[in-house]
Amino acid sequence: MDGVILLQKQLVDYSTSLYKEGFLDDQFKQLQQLQDESNPDFVVEVVYLFFEDSERLLNELSKTLNQQIVDFKKVDAHVHQLKGSSSSIGAQRVQKVCIAFRNYCEEQNTEGCLRCLQLVKHEYSLVKNKLETMFKLEKQVLAAGGSIPMH
Amino acid sequence: MAHAASNSPSVTFESPPSSFRAMGLWLRSYVNRILASANSCRRNRSRCCKRTFNRDVEAEELQDTSTVCLSSYYSVFMVRLAIMVMLAILIGMLTLLTWHFTKVYTQRSLDTLAYGLRFELLQRPMLRMWNIINSTVEITTAQVKLSEYVIRRYSKPVNQAQQVELYEVMRDVTWALFASQRALSSITINYRNGFVQAFHRDHRSNKTSYIYSDLVNYSINGYDADTRSSHQGWNDQSIHGNMSAIWYRQPLDPVTGEKIGKSSPIPPDELINIAGISQIPDGAASWHVAVSKYTDSPLLSAALPVWDSSKESIVAVVGVTTALYSVGQLMKELVGFHSGHIYLTSQEGWLLATSSNTPLLMNSTTGPKLMMAVDSEDRVIRSGAEWLQRVYGDKFPLNDEVHIEHARLGHQLYYIDSFFLNLKRLPMVGVIIIPRKYIMGRVDERAFKTLVVLISASVCILVVGCVCIFVLTNGVSKEMKLRAELISHLDARRKAEASSNYKSQFLANMSHELRTPMAAVIGLLDILVCDDCLTNEQYANVTQIRKCSTALLRLLNNILDLSKVESGKLVLEETEFDLGRELEGLVDMFSVQCINHNVEIILDLSDDMPKLVQGDSARVVQIFANLISNSIKFTTSGHVILRGWSENPNSVLSSGKCSISQKDSWPGQKMKLKLHGSHGKRSLKKENKMVLWFEVDDTGCGIDPSKWESVFESFEQADPSTTRLHGGTGLGLCIVRTLVNKMGGEIKVEKKNGPGALMRLYLILSTPADLNGAGKHCQFKFKEHKLTMVLALNGRMGRSTMAQWLQKNLVHTYEASEWNELTQTLQEHFKASYMHIPPGEFSESDQMHTQGISISVVVIVIVIGLLELSTDIWKEQLAYLDKYSSIAKFAWILNHDTPNAIKAELRWRGHLLMVSRPLYKAKIVQILEAVIKDQQMELQKYVTATIEGNLNECHEIDAIHSWTPSSDDSDKSERDDLRLASPFYRTPNASPSLNRTPNGHHAEFAHVRYEENACNKKSPGQTRQEEQQSPITCLKERDTVRISTSMDEQSSLKGLRILLAEDTPVLQRVATIMLEKLGAKVVAVGDGLQAVEALKFLLHSSELRKESPVEDDNSEIITANGLSLLPYDLILMDCQMPKMDGYEATKAIRKSELGSGSHIPIVALTAHAMSCDEAKCLEVGMDAYLSKPIDRKLMVSTILSLTKRTA
Repeated sequence: MDGVILLQKQLVDYSTSLYKEGFLDDQFKQLQQLQDESNPDFVVEVVYLFFEDSERLLNELSKTLNQQIVDFKKVDAHVHQLKGSSSSIGAQRVQKVCIAFRNYCEEQNTEGCLRCLQLVKHEYSLVKNKLETMFKLEKQVLAAGGSIPMH
Repeated sequence: MAHAASNSPSVTFESPPSSFRAMGLWLRSYVNRILASANSCRRNRSRCCKRTFNRDVEAEELQDTSTVCLSSYYSVFMVRLAIMVMLAILIGMLTLLTWHFTKVYTQRSLDTLAYGLRFELLQRPMLRMWNIINSTVEITTAQVKLSEYVIRRYSKPVNQAQQVELYEVMRDVTWALFASQRALSSITINYRNGFVQAFHRDHRSNKTSYIYSDLVNYSINGYDADTRSSHQGWNDQSIHGNMSAIWYRQPLDPVTGEKIGKSSPIPPDELINIAGISQIPDGAASWHVAVSKYTDSPLLSAALPVWDSSKESIVAVVGVTTALYSVGQLMKELVGFHSGHIYLTSQEGWLLATSSNTPLLMNSTTGPKLMMAVDSEDRVIRSGAEWLQRVYGDKFPLNDEVHIEHARLGHQLYYIDSFFLNLKRLPMVGVIIIPRKYIMGRVDERAFKTLVVLISASVCILVVGCVCIFVLTNGVSKEMKLRAELISHLDARRKAEASSNYKSQFLANMSHELRTPMAAVIGLLDILVCDDCLTNEQYANVTQIRKCSTALLRLLNNILDLSKVESGKLVLEETEFDLGRELEGLVDMFSVQCINHNVEIILDLSDDMPKLVQGDSARVVQIFANLISNSIKFTTSGHVILRGWSENPNSVLSSGKCSISQKDSWPGQKMKLKLHGSHGKRSLKKENKMVLWFEVDDTGCGIDPSKWESVFESFEQADPSTTRLHGGTGLGLCIVRTLVNKMGGEIKVEKKNGPGALMRLYLILSTPADLNGAGKHCQFKFKEHKLTMVLALNGRMGRSTMAQWLQKNLVHTYEASEWNELTQTLQEHFKASYMHIPPGEFSESDQMHTQGISISVVVIVIVIGLLELSTDIWKEQLAYLDKYSSIAKFAWILNHDTPNAIKAELRWRGHLLMVSRPLYKAKIVQILEAVIKDQQMELQKYVTATIEGNLNECHEIDAIHSWTPSSDDSDKSERDDLRLASPFYRTPNASPSLNRTPNGHHAEFAHVRYEENACNKKSPGQTRQEEQQSPITCLKERDTVRISTSMDEQSSLKGLRILLAEDTPVLQRVATIMLEKLGAKVVAVGDGLQAVEALKFLLHSSELRKESPVEDDNSEIITANGLSLLPYDLILMDCQMPKMDGYEATKAIRKSELGSGSHIPIVALTAHAMSCDEAKCLEVGMDAYLSKPIDRKLMVSTILSLTKRTA
């Protein structure tokens, strides 16, 4: 039982650190609140949806930006989508980079866009790792028979 | 040019600095100017220095401007100078060219003329010379021919007599010739034998003489002896050496040739030169110029031999001499007329003739000799000859003419021309010297004069031009300076405006962005407040935080409103709304606030106010909310009255004030009306515009008259200390004024008797055309029912206002302000009957007669506060009142905090009419209606509990704030404020939709309550309230079922079908779950096109739906209500989507709806957070606007407000 409590504590600490470091914001909490018996894996589902969507968008973005003539409208639309989905799950660092990205887009600054793309990719992978780690922890907690503490 | 300029005394410093004097002047004035400007600069600086102590910046600016002025002055000066120099150059060139051309052309033509003249002048003496020579030759030839003829006749003279005869004949012939040619000086015939015959004419003495030699000395045979060697026999020696020969001179009559005197012997060659054989060495004619002792002019002599008949020997020599005197004479004449000098020389330079009187011959030891031209005594001729010799030397250009135009002889210029006359043996050169002055003198003079005139004229022009330039540039530079200043001012102003624009833009954006977190903070605080486990202290703190946050949010809203108005983005709606009801709601709300302040809030609307008006209800309410809250803020005790009347001369407020008398103080309004003129008034009528007047009257601290205008400025408060005392930002009144102005009205602070402030405003609102007649309150017919009222209210102002109004409507009114007064009134007028008739059993008519007053219904309105609630006395008081229950109906005005125990007690005692404070006309009307209805029912002996209950609950619902007895009052009022300015409330069409139902405000309050419920779900009082409320709402048929269902937060959207158009899968999922959790059915589509199609499909299938009832309960309710046949109650539309974005999709949907008349609410979901996006959303036909990430509460309230309208 102690192990479960330890795990739970670890999970809480970990998620708190995520909030503190700014990877996540309140929106994620809202997501967690939406999860209940009828949708037991709602958060995971949504987050994985986010992963899929983001990866698709990032691929599209790198493709579009590596073209000879960059279609900034397209880039802007992609970034907008990424911004929307990242803000929906509360991945605010990704969202913030998206805002900067869009500014470069408006300026039609290819170099800035490419830099932002790298940044977005970086942030995305970071948040992905963090979230996956958190889900792993949650799984462990559940496997150990404990409940996931709400924050 | 420059010289001329320098000579002109009028030239000042402006003149080109090319001349020294001008330069000097110029420099001096330049230096003066610099000194002057430096002085002024210094003065400026010193002036600045004086101010430096407190105005450093200004001083610097001044300094700057002075230096700028100086530099600009220099530049202007330089430009001016440059223009002047250019002008000078231009004028100078013009002058020079003019002068040059005039001069050159005259000179050239004159030169041509002069050349002709000179040529002519010289030609004439030459011609004369030629004539002379010619005639001489002719005479000589004639003489020779004659002599030959005569001598042939007398050839071979045999004797002396024949010889003499020959000579005689010769003499006659010769005379004839001599006499015919008067110009001849002499003719000589020198015979072979030495005999000489000669005629000589002295022109000066006009004597003619015949000279002959002595005949005896010559032999007749002389001829023969010399026939062979003719030449030998001829020599001059034979004559000259023969000194022994005697010549005789015989004077002759010059005309007839008669001998007039005795002949006298003269030595040979004494008088004349006899041409001898020596002069014709080759037997041909010869020429030479000779001189004689007796004439002072050179002589031209020609000699020809006379040959004998066989042409073998010369028998005689004929010589003819002509004086050149006449040539000189001619020259003199010519020169005398034309001035100048002419002379002729031989080729060698011997002077032959001159035009002067100087001698031509030189006396030397050997007799007179010809002189050279260079030796002439005439100065001019000599110097001319010398000049020629100097220039041409010996190589005088033969056969050529020389023309020299500028020969300086002595001090004068001369023209010198020479012609060469090439005669055989006697080539001659003629020279004419004419002083230049004679020909060109006048021309030169004129040229000089012209030049002077031109120069002086140009100098004048230059001076005038320079002055003009100076004057003009002066003006221009001044203007330029002014213009530069103006431009800089404009620039500064534009900058200032831009910065102020940025400021408001920034404020708007900021407040917009800040509102969201603020809403979150407030929501979280609400949750916290509802938490049970808070200690009292914590609870107090949290409540405090809640208040502060609300205040902050209100401030933000104010700023947003203000900037919205300022940027002109505020667009007023034009929807119909019930003005009276809105204001009543407002007063209801504020009365709660007033309870603590001991301030009475009274609504006094005149009866002629239109019931329904067109306009922006939210903004109208905002105006009054701001004004009333402002009044309440400054009023610690007394009352706040909101009066309203429409502009109508007959409109008299119930308080007795005549509105028209105060209109004089409204120049603006009057002016506006005047501006409209008569037709303006008509147009007001035609458009159903109405001028509605309002005043907010309070008994607070009042406003200083000097601040009456400025209180309406932004961030302006009448007293700086108010911020400390009352808080606030000073934006409220500013917003009010901008809104009022926007509605075509005006607001002013009015003078007031007594303490407090009086704000008066008017609004121009249009009334619905068809409702014009029915616009008035559907007045209850009080008269018919013969009502009597006892007003037992503790607020004096409210009571008297109400009483006046009632009396005006012919209702008997008694007033009482406290318990004792009430009992007294009751005793006096109603003679409390002690017979306790149970309700419903007493006979009303009996009662009426016993009282002696013609009353049918007595209504006693009592404020709960009149009872002694602190102790248990109130129960006794109620018992006392029961005595009158038989004759009167009681209506209780409850406070918000009236304990339920009292309400229960009242209900138990049968006092079923209960309304909450404050009392206003609508409530009175309600009470009276209920009473009358009740009465009628009683009369019919039919009383149903249901209706009682209904009435009871109906009025209970009115008491909006009775639902949470435990909660803090001020807190609630804050919430009401929040409600007023909350984003939900700003959602367009939200409030008008509520007004459409007659019972609208009930629903509204219920809804508000619901909203509060949403955050207070755990409140224990809440659940009770819900229990209490649900049966009521169920009973009410008109209330929507949805409200009852929405009681439960978990399923507040239950029964709603929502179409979600969102392309981001994450968001789609999140939103779906969120909505589903709230009980809504969600259909999600990926883009706008799908959304449109889904809607279209279902639109078509809706026909089917109508026919076959769906088993779904929710939809059944919807269809049962018969209000919506649409499959979806609402669409949540993302704005940016692939294929078709939200805007396009909305447009398409709205287009497809055009025919059907249905309107499906569309809520925009967007990640853009700017207000312009909101505008864009609304423009394409969306109904509301939610920003991502989705805030659940906001979404719920938005969705509810939109779906309820369709319900």
